[in-house]
Amino acid sequence: MNRLTPLAALLTGTAIGSLTLGVSAVADDSLRIVDEPLELTIQMNHARYPVYDEDWPVEKEASALTGISLKNDTVGANMRTDENSGKTEALNLMLASGNIPDIVGSSRLKDFVNQYGPEGAFLPLNELIDEHAPNLKAFLDERPEIASAISAADGNMYYVPYLPDGKYGRAYFIRYDWLDTLGLEVPETVEEVEEVLRAFKTQDPNGNGQADEVPYFARQWPELIRLVTLWDGRSSGSDTYHDFMVVDGKIEHPYAGEGYRDGISNLARWYEEGLVDAEVFTRGSSAREYLLSENLGGMTHDWFASTSGYNRLSDSIEGFEFKAFAPPASVSGVRMEEHRRIPIKPDGWAIGHTNEHPVETIKYFDFWFTEKGRRLANFGAEGEQYTMVDGEPIFTDAVLNSDEPVNAQLWGVGAQLQARGFFQDYNYEKQWSNKYALEGIALYDEGDYLIDQFLGVAFTADEQKVYDRSWPSIRDYMLERQQAWVLGTGDVMEDWDAYMATLDGMGLQDVLDVMNSAYERQYD
Amino acid sequence: MSSLTRTQRIWKHLRREWQLYVMLLPTIVWLVVFLYKPMYGLQVAFKDYSIFRGVAASPWIGFEHFETLFGNDQFIRALRNTVIISFYSLLIGFPVPILLALMFNEVLNQTFKKSAQTIVYLPHFISSVIIAGIVITAFSPSAGVVNTVIGWFGLEPIYFLTKPEWFRPIFIGTGIWQEAGFQSIVYLAAIAGVSPTLYESAVIDGASRWQMMWKVTIPSIMTTIIIMLIIRIGNVLEVSFEMIILLYQPATYETADVVNTFIYRQGIQAGQYDFAAAAGLFNAVVAFVLVMTANSLSKRYSRTSLW
Repeated sequence: MNRLTPLAALLTGTAIGSLTLGVSAVADDSLRIVDEPLELTIQMNHARYPVYDEDWPVEKEASALTGISLKNDTVGANMRTDENSGKTEALNLMLASGNIPDIVGSSRLKDFVNQYGPEGAFLPLNELIDEHAPNLKAFLDERPEIASAISAADGNMYYVPYLPDGKYGRAYFIRYDWLDTLGLEVPETVEEVEEVLRAFKTQDPNGNGQADEVPYFARQWPELIRLVTLWDGRSSGSDTYHDFMVVDGKIEHPYAGEGYRDGISNLARWYEEGLVDAEVFTRGSSAREYLLSENLGGMTHDWFASTSGYNRLSDSIEGFEFKAFAPPASVSGVRMEEHRRIPIKPDGWAIGHTNEHPVETIKYFDFWFTEKGRRLANFGAEGEQYTMVDGEPIFTDAVLNSDEPVNAQLWGVGAQLQARGFFQDYNYEKQWSNKYALEGIALYDEGDYLIDQFLGVAFTADEQKVYDRSWPSIRDYMLERQQAWVLGTGDVMEDWDAYMATLDGMGLQDVLDVMNSAYERQYD
Repeated sequence: MSSLTRTQRIWKHLRREWQLYVMLLPTIVWLVVFLYKPMYGLQVAFKDYSIFRGVAASPWIGFEHFETLFGNDQFIRALRNTVIISFYSLLIGFPVPILLALMFNEVLNQTFKKSAQTIVYLPHFISSVIIAGIVITAFSPSAGVVNTVIGWFGLEPIYFLTKPEWFRPIFIGTGIWQEAGFQSIVYLAAIAGVSPTLYESAVIDGASRWQMMWKVTIPSIMTTIIIMLIIRIGNVLEVSFEMIILLYQPATYETADVVNTFIYRQGIQAGQYDFAAAAGLFNAVVAFVLVMTANSLSKRYSRTSLW
């Protein structure tokens, strides 16, 4: 290891040199980290590509460039990450097995490494980054909020995060052609949304003579709860469902607010009236595909790019036009889009404590922050997924015109992996966003509807204990009441005082207290 | 014989019957590896367990997890749900395989008997995930077969799987449909073991088929029935929670959440293994008490027992 360090430092220096000059084929050798090929083991689990694949073209190119190749050593790979608890079983299994690979990449990694890193399971990265990762360091210096958002309670960073680019995530979408058919305008307020949904329900916009339209639907049922923002409530403080939020510098929970109460009360009314998909809680991830292609769904709240893609259905459904519209004004006149792409994800990768090559590993992490590495992580392999046109990576026609979505194709070759620490390039998505998505984004840009997000906190062991003891039960109780109210097996207005008293009795205030003390330590 | 020492006798016995012990070996290995070795880990129920530090190095904290457990209303509710679901499954589900076995026994047409048996055994071999998928589809308010039938009578469709009051009937019914056929095999085997001479003498005494069933078949398989009952009682807290996880929703936690699903959500998903171990240990203690009670009651009143 020591033998290699001066040489590697020299080579990394050359890498930066060639970067500023614009990388070309000549630069291939300059990104090399080790002379002798080095193999590191990796645990990588993610819902979309459950296990690391040594044959991904991106990985082959990375190892050709750096000399470091990764060997899959994943334990407990599965396709599920729990959106509620924000933890992954695979990571726990890995730790319980007693063998931590050299590199651990996963979604929902942050809380995990910030809990077990200080106990010694993962290496603190601060010094390694300062000394051996110039590109990563330059990036972190430029955006100091990253370090405060990802650091553990002991002040150390234990993982390199996946950093999404681009601001916009979800938006309100509606069938513009149905609005035209019924002679309606795009709804501007919550009252108008209600009228439009009712018209969808009762006036047969799909013209088949049956009242089979599903006015509002969602692939994930929390997107129904999202609508409480129309009554000045909140459904989450971040891009994770049911998350805490920051209000005037203090942490609160959205499900304990009066706007939420009013919103749920109205959503229950909508549900009863049939303005909301009756099966919203069980229909699941195929809801959008099914309801749009069967010409049944009217409105949803979903991702810009993938939802706009459904306009291809105009081939089979005459006049089909499913486009974004600006967030409707709430009862108090606020137009807000609660969801946005979070700038720093809890996903990424970390270094296990038994890693014998921490310097080479951090240099390898740094590689993905070089221009070449970043392009590889975003666009795949040159000549296969993209070609360089006027100095810009442009996807090949084969990639853009395939039946499979571009992001899924990229996962298949090892690019756009969120279980890898890298900085996303929004240009990757822009190239395959159709004109409807780009129009919608322009609309949201103009109105500036986004709000700041809660980036999470890191607990000390004592705070963690308080949180673990109370929070899972409180969250369960909140979700249980939430569904019951929407489904009409309980009245939120009548139950509210008892609900708040129960939350109090279950220790919500204790949880908020530890959240706040952690928040102050981390962000002040 | 008396000239041999105890060790010599055991050794001689082993040499003579070694094939039997070899056959027993896999089961013993299985028991040790999967049931006895994990018992070492039970101590985390009394520890502040960190997966990284390991079982031995985590500090002891006494009964703190149990206090948390019994201070948790959701656990109490899960316990109540477990008992209710088990009780009804036992009450309704236990006689069904016996009835099936008796009915199969009376069927004379062999072709009909074989095909009927195959049909009722089949669900046992289908994975729970698929069964849950079938149930969700069958009870869907828009496309489900059940709601279609309800619609013929002019009634509004019911969104069964989000209604707490419907969860238990659907769950218990599914369980019976899935397992009753397969469980009837044990009773069929017991019936096949009843000596034909008993039936012959009953015929000579002029017994009807109905009387033969009541006076000969059922008393002859009573031992099997009681043994099966004791085993079932021991598993009262072990409701098939994988099926519950597949079918429940926050909206139905009220009636559907059982101890094992509670452990899964709070312990495994939220990563609190020590707390989950405490809940699991409590579960095991209750099951142990139940088996012991059922066994001794049965011993006293029917002279049939597991040991």
